[in-house]
Amino acid sequence: MHEKHLRPDEFDLLLDSGEGFGVAPLRAHVRNCVPCAVELERASHVLAMLDTLPDFSPRTGFADRVMSDVQVFEPWHAAAIGTVRRFVPSTHSGRVAAGVGAALSGGALTAALTWGVARADIGVLLAQVGLERFRDQAGAAFSDIIATVLGPHGIAAIQSGSPELAALTAGGFVAIVGLGVTGLRALATASSRKR
Amino acid sequence: MSQTEELTTLPDADVVKHAQRGREPAFRELVRRYERPVFSLVYRMVRDRELAEDLSQDAFVKVLNHIDRYSPEFKFSSWLFKIANNVAIDHLRRRKLDTISLDGSPFATSPTEAQSSALNLPIDQESALDELVARELGSEIEDAIGTLRPEYRACIMLRHVEGRSYEEIAATLDLPLGTVKTYIHRARHELRQILEPTRE
Repeated sequence: MHEKHLRPDEFDLLLDSGEGFGVAPLRAHVRNCVPCAVELERASHVLAMLDTLPDFSPRTGFADRVMSDVQVFEPWHAAAIGTVRRFVPSTHSGRVAAGVGAALSGGALTAALTWGVARADIGVLLAQVGLERFRDQAGAAFSDIIATVLGPHGIAAIQSGSPELAALTAGGFVAIVGLGVTGLRALATASSRKR
Repeated sequence: MSQTEELTTLPDADVVKHAQRGREPAFRELVRRYERPVFSLVYRMVRDRELAEDLSQDAFVKVLNHIDRYSPEFKFSSWLFKIANNVAIDHLRRRKLDTISLDGSPFATSPTEAQSSALNLPIDQESALDELVARELGSEIEDAIGTLRPEYRACIMLRHVEGRSYEEIAATLDLPLGTVKTYIHRARHELRQILEPTRE
């Protein structure tokens, strides 16, 4: 006859862990105590039933239904890495060649940049020459347009006339160009609507 | 080896990393791995096949749309089960609030009014889906599980169907370890009491 039977947590320990420290004395107790042995056997029966419970499957196409509501988002860094990877050759020799090519190009570019920075005065001079040429060409083109629109008489009148006349002529020129642009836009809108 | 085949051999944490980089096959692989366990958990919680599918789908969509928030120090499956369990518990709570009397509106002022607002449910028309549910959840043990409190049910499912440790269940359900032990002990005790009379 045993004075003390196993506590509920001790039964759980026996049910959950087959072996281990602390379990052996409990097992020894169960071997010698009929009420505890019966209790453990009943509890084990329920656990055996629980352990045979199957998993159920949802209907086919479950993954498709889930994915239709999932927004697959590719972060920019992953997209950038993916793009770079696409350009990396798959063979070893290809990768070596690409590496050598990239190193040579990088080296040449660095040398060019270094030279450019060291000779900044030449760069400034070249930029000034380029800017001057652009200004001359733009001025010439503008004079041509004025000459085409107003004719040689108009130009002569402007050159000989007062500043008021020159301002009036320039205003008229702007008005004509404005009307032309508005007319062209109206034509384009009408044509797109027709389409 | 194709990309999809390669994914099937990877542990969850690595598949999640692929998903975080925006690879759709990784998302599908996570669904493939857990659709049965998650559906089974939710199905046993709500005991309605169609509803369980909708709730499981909600759980997956929630998890996969926030995959960038996944923290690798936790198990992915624990996170997923936590969301699925919350979705099921929320539904059960809402359903409890929405429950109406079959005998008519409680606000009816006369017997005629009560009768007119009573629900008449056809009891002979059992759909194919109902039959399937009865077949799947109709065994003694499934019936007994159906009588448990939802919290006990979730603990018992995670312990015995998914084979989770007490610590994992506590982390999954956001419960103290002692509470999980108590719930599982009480659930087993209740199941024993229900199943005892049917035992030969």
